[in-house]
Amino acid sequence: MRFLLVEDDRMIGESLQRALRLEGHAVDWVRDAAAADSTLASERFDLVLLDLGLPPGQGAGAGHADGLSVLRAARARHDPTPVIVLTARDARGDRVAGLDAGADDYLIKPFELDELNARIRAVLRRHAGRAEPVLSAGRVTLDPATRRVTQDGTAVPLSAREFAVLEALLARPGAVLSRAQLEDRLYGWGQEIESNAVTVYVHQLRRKLGADFIRNVRGVGYFVDPGQ
Amino acid sequence: MTSIRVRLLASLLALLALAALLMGAVTYRNVLAETEAIFDYQLQQMALSLRDQGEISPAQADSIADAQLDFVIQIWTVDGRSIYASRPHSALPARALLGLATLKVDGRSWRTFSVATRERVIQVAQPVEIRQRLAAQAAWRSVLPLLLMAPLAALVIWWLAAKNLAPLQRLAAELRSRDERSMAPLATGGLPDELAPLAQSLNALLERLGRSLDAQRGFVADAAHELRSPLTALKLQLELLRRAGDATDRDAARAAIGEGIERATRLVEQLLALARSEPSAAVAPRERVDLAEIARRMVAETVPFAASRSIEFELSAAAPAFVVGDPVTLGLLVRNLADNAARYSPAGSRVEVAIAADAAEAVLTVDDAGPGIPEAERQRVFDRFYRRAEGGESGSGLGLAIVQSVATAHGARVSLDRSPQGGLRAVVRFPAARREPSHGVNRP
Repeated sequence: MRFLLVEDDRMIGESLQRALRLEGHAVDWVRDAAAADSTLASERFDLVLLDLGLPPGQGAGAGHADGLSVLRAARARHDPTPVIVLTARDARGDRVAGLDAGADDYLIKPFELDELNARIRAVLRRHAGRAEPVLSAGRVTLDPATRRVTQDGTAVPLSAREFAVLEALLARPGAVLSRAQLEDRLYGWGQEIESNAVTVYVHQLRRKLGADFIRNVRGVGYFVDPGQ
Repeated sequence: MTSIRVRLLASLLALLALAALLMGAVTYRNVLAETEAIFDYQLQQMALSLRDQGEISPAQADSIADAQLDFVIQIWTVDGRSIYASRPHSALPARALLGLATLKVDGRSWRTFSVATRERVIQVAQPVEIRQRLAAQAAWRSVLPLLLMAPLAALVIWWLAAKNLAPLQRLAAELRSRDERSMAPLATGGLPDELAPLAQSLNALLERLGRSLDAQRGFVADAAHELRSPLTALKLQLELLRRAGDATDRDAARAAIGEGIERATRLVEQLLALARSEPSAAVAPRERVDLAEIARRMVAETVPFAASRSIEFELSAAAPAFVVGDPVTLGLLVRNLADNAARYSPAGSRVEVAIAADAAEAVLTVDDAGPGIPEAERQRVFDRFYRRAEGGESGSGLGLAIVQSVATAHGARVSLDRSPQGGLRAVVRFPAARREPSHGVNRP
């Protein structure tokens, strides 16, 4: 999954980026409201982690004073990207304002990494319109919480990147994802994209899960068949 | 006797008693003088009418008959034989002094009037105590209304005092019913003139207390809020250490934790420094100190940190610059300006600290070659926990707030400007200490 992290604190930003990458997510990080605004307006993310106490940043208008206004601006653009607010503001009024401005969840600093990961999964699940925490298609199931993939009940060991590709494909079985879309989920800014990396991971997944588990639409992309 | 009511009552009763005493004494004295004159005249008239008419006039017969007045008439022959006594009175002397006289017989005083004819001596006598008793009765009658009035007056005073002191009671009740958080002013309407100033003074005190309490609450809330960031970072860093796959990751995670602890420590230190420099903090000893000396010490403390970033420090302080103040918080001020300059300066640049003094003021200037602060933000950077977007440093956001707070406590002014090197220039202008130390100890 590709996340945008909006956090002005260098230490928190670095640690969060690293921790989320360990979970197999591609994480881009901006540090002020103006950068968050322009990035959200021009790129697509699966999830935004948003700090509320942000400096306005260069060239920011008066309306972009903090994270809340970034969120409002995104919702005003009809941007449906799920947003989890991470903030030290814990007054009830702040929480209400955050959720009412369009946040999907709200986590108070300092938080546990496990809780953040669980909330990320929950938000992504809800956003995909699913209630059950486990993704599945045919004989294959994927549990985002335990990061376990099983086929007919037998565990299938996957690398973090393979897991990320499979998770993306299982999120909406039947939907075709292009190579570029899959690359987006694997790599954040500044990470060098290996050419034909996606092809390699798909090949390995097919080797482990069966040759026709992942279908290819030539020139368009990949999908898993929900009905198999 | 601390109760105003009791005091009022006691004063009133004492006053009444004094008035009664005075009135009684005066009445007694006046009445006694009057009765003496009247009775002496009667004694005289009785004796003379006995001598001249051989009998007592009917007007005086009543007095003789009145046992209360206790007149005694005695008649003797010239040779001393008693021939008449109106009543037997063994106590009376058998001899008479002619004219008016006061005799003392067996401890009892008698007023007598005696006249002599050729054959007889006539004496009319009356015990003196009769007159005293009459005077005392008169005095008593005059005092009695006062004494009867006393309990009534006491009741009235008691009630009046209660009524007049009621606003005080109300004030006390209002204050008593408050908890430590309610700093609303007391209602001053309807208070008597004597009480209004008290309520107004209390209100002024409440307002000052409220302000200082608000400031402290704000500070604690801000501090708790600010501590969350380093704690969040530490938590994440610890999590990363737990998840570190190999030795390189572990080392990186450990280094990050070290950095996080360093940051939390610095924040706590800065919070303490700020708390110390707040105007509400305990008044620090004020002495005449040399700003140049403090600057030398603080720059020396900053140099290792600066050197680690290849930043050079230069201090120019040609002459001592004396100011009156607390050397500890003044040190904090210089230290924070020096630290800030070092923190934001590019590697290889130089931070210039200068101390200048004239008769009116001592001026501390710190110039750096960092990014500076745009004019629009120069006021806001003094706010507690205000952090600028650029610079990328995770400072505590307290440095300039501390500088401002210490400066204010010392009557100094802080201003920010553009340094000749293009970075930030911070200038602090202190009022110069007078030549002779006004208080405190001079430094050797």
